[in-house]
Amino acid sequence: MTTPFKPSREVAVVGVGLHPFGRFPGKDLASLARDAVVAALLDAGVPWRAIPIAYFGHVYYQGMSVGETALGPLGLTGIPIINVENACSSGSTAFWQAYWGIAAGIYDLALAFGAEKVPSGPVTVTAADSPERYIGGDHMMAGYALRMRRYMAETGAPPAAFAQVTVKARQNAALNPYAHRQQTYTVAEVLASRPIADPLTLYQCCPTSEGAAAAILCARESLNRYGLNDTRAIRVAAATLTSGNYNGRGSDHSAFSPYRTEPAALAAYEMASLGPEDINLAQVHDAATIGELQQIEALHLTPMGAAWQATQSGRTALTGDIPVNTDGGLLAMGHPFGATGIRMVHETVTQLRGEAGPRQVANAQVGLAQCSGAGDVTTVQIFTR
Amino acid sequence: MTTPVATTPVSVDAGRLRLTDPAGADGVLLGMRCPACGIYLFGLAVFCPSCTAADLEPVELSRRGALYSYTIVRVPPAGWPGPVPYILGEVELPEGPHILAEVIDCPQDELSIGQPVELALQPVPAAADSQSTRIVYKWRPAAANPGDAP
Repeated sequence: MTTPFKPSREVAVVGVGLHPFGRFPGKDLASLARDAVVAALLDAGVPWRAIPIAYFGHVYYQGMSVGETALGPLGLTGIPIINVENACSSGSTAFWQAYWGIAAGIYDLALAFGAEKVPSGPVTVTAADSPERYIGGDHMMAGYALRMRRYMAETGAPPAAFAQVTVKARQNAALNPYAHRQQTYTVAEVLASRPIADPLTLYQCCPTSEGAAAAILCARESLNRYGLNDTRAIRVAAATLTSGNYNGRGSDHSAFSPYRTEPAALAAYEMASLGPEDINLAQVHDAATIGELQQIEALHLTPMGAAWQATQSGRTALTGDIPVNTDGGLLAMGHPFGATGIRMVHETVTQLRGEAGPRQVANAQVGLAQCSGAGDVTTVQIFTR
Repeated sequence: MTTPVATTPVSVDAGRLRLTDPAGADGVLLGMRCPACGIYLFGLAVFCPSCTAADLEPVELSRRGALYSYTIVRVPPAGWPGPVPYILGEVELPEGPHILAEVIDCPQDELSIGQPVELALQPVPAAADSQSTRIVYKWRPAAANPGDAP
C-alpha cells in the first residue's frame, strides 16, 4: 500500500515538555496537561499567544472539553482546540494532526498535547454493556499473552528473552526522573512476579499511569520569524497514521502480527526516503514485553522472529546498535494513553538534540516513534536532526 | 421466601450466535462468506474486508476448530461473570476465522496449541437484567478427527 503523502513544506519540533508519569491523586487531568504545555512552551521559547491551534489527546472521560479547560488559564486566545480520542494512539494522533496542519501550509505553529489518568486494573476496549464482557476476550494483556504464547511456539523464544525486555526498560528508566517505575529488576525477578495472563507476569505489563506530554511544532521556513533556534529544532521526516487493514489475514493474532504496524512503517520510510537501516534509535509500543519484540520486527529493525535474540544479545540496550525505548518505554514510564505518543516524541527529540544526559545514545541522528492503539490504530514518526 | 424467576435465554450476540434450541442448549456460530474471493468472516460484515465485494452470504460456521493459542487469565477484566482464573482460547476454524472464547472442561496442564476443540454453550446470568440469561459460546476439548488440521 502506497499512501500519496505530499507535504508541501518541512515541519520541525521546536519544543517538548513532560509532566512526570506516575500517580497524582490530588491533581486533575487539566492540571497535568497544562504543566506539560507550559514546559513545552518554555522549552521552545514560543509565547502562548503565538500558538494558532491545539490538539489534545485523551481517552477516559474526565469531563467535557478538557483541552479547553487545560489551556484556559494560559489565556483565552480564541484558537481552535480539538479534543482527540484514538485509544492508546490518541496523543500521537494529536501530533499527526498538528503536523499536517503545518505541512499543508495552513498554520505556522501548532501545539500537540495529551494527558491521562488511567484507572487501575485490566484495560478493556469495549463499553461496559458489551457482549465481550460475557465472552471474556476483551482484556488487553490477555490479547498480548495469546500472541506471546504463539510467538514462543513459533520462534522458540524462552521466557527469559521476554523478561529481558523489562530488565532493559527498567535500566533505562532508572536514568529517567520522569518514569513511573524506576526500580531495576533481574530476569528472575520479572519471571517470578505475579502472573496476570500466562505467560505474562506483572512486570511484563505496563503500569496504568497518569501523566502528560506536549510538543510545539513549527514550519521550518518560519523558524526565524519566531526567533527560534534552528540547532535545537528537530525535523519531522515522516508522520503516518493507519487503522486496521485486513490485508487478507483477517483478525489473526499470529505470532508476528506485522499487518498492524507494517503499513504505517512502510509508508513512513517511503515518506522520509529512509529505511530501517537508517534508524539510530526507536521508541515503540511496549505495552507488554511481547509488544516490543513484535513492533521492532514489524518496523523491520530486526528480521521476523529475531527480535528476542537481538534483545538478549543487547542490541536494543542503550549501548546497542538499535536502542529501543530509551526512556523506559511504556513498561517503565507507564502508559497514560493520551500522553504516551507525545512522550515518545519528547524522548526522540531529546535524544536527537543530544540532551538525554546519562541515557544519551551515541551519535543519534535519526529516531523513530511508533504507537499502537485499539482499532489497530498505528502511528509512526521519523525524526532527523 | 423468594420464588425463582423464569428467565429467557438470549444469545450473547445475535450477530455471532443463533440459538437453535429454546432452552439455549444448542446453537450455531454465524458468519459471512464472500462469493467473490471465497473468504469467511465471523459475525456480521457489510462489505468484504478483503476484496470489498458487497454481496456477502450469511453462513453457519464449523462447530470444531484447533486451539491456535491460549492464556490463563488470572486477573479478569471488570465485569467478568465467570470463574477466576479462566482459560481464554483463540481457536482457528477450518474456514479461517479465529474466535476468542473461554475454554471449559479442560485442566490447565492439558492445554496445547493445535488441540481440537468444539463449540459449547453455557448460560450466564445477565448482569443488569434478571429476566434473561445470556447464552455464551465457549470451547471445550474434542476428540481428534482424522480430518483435523495439524
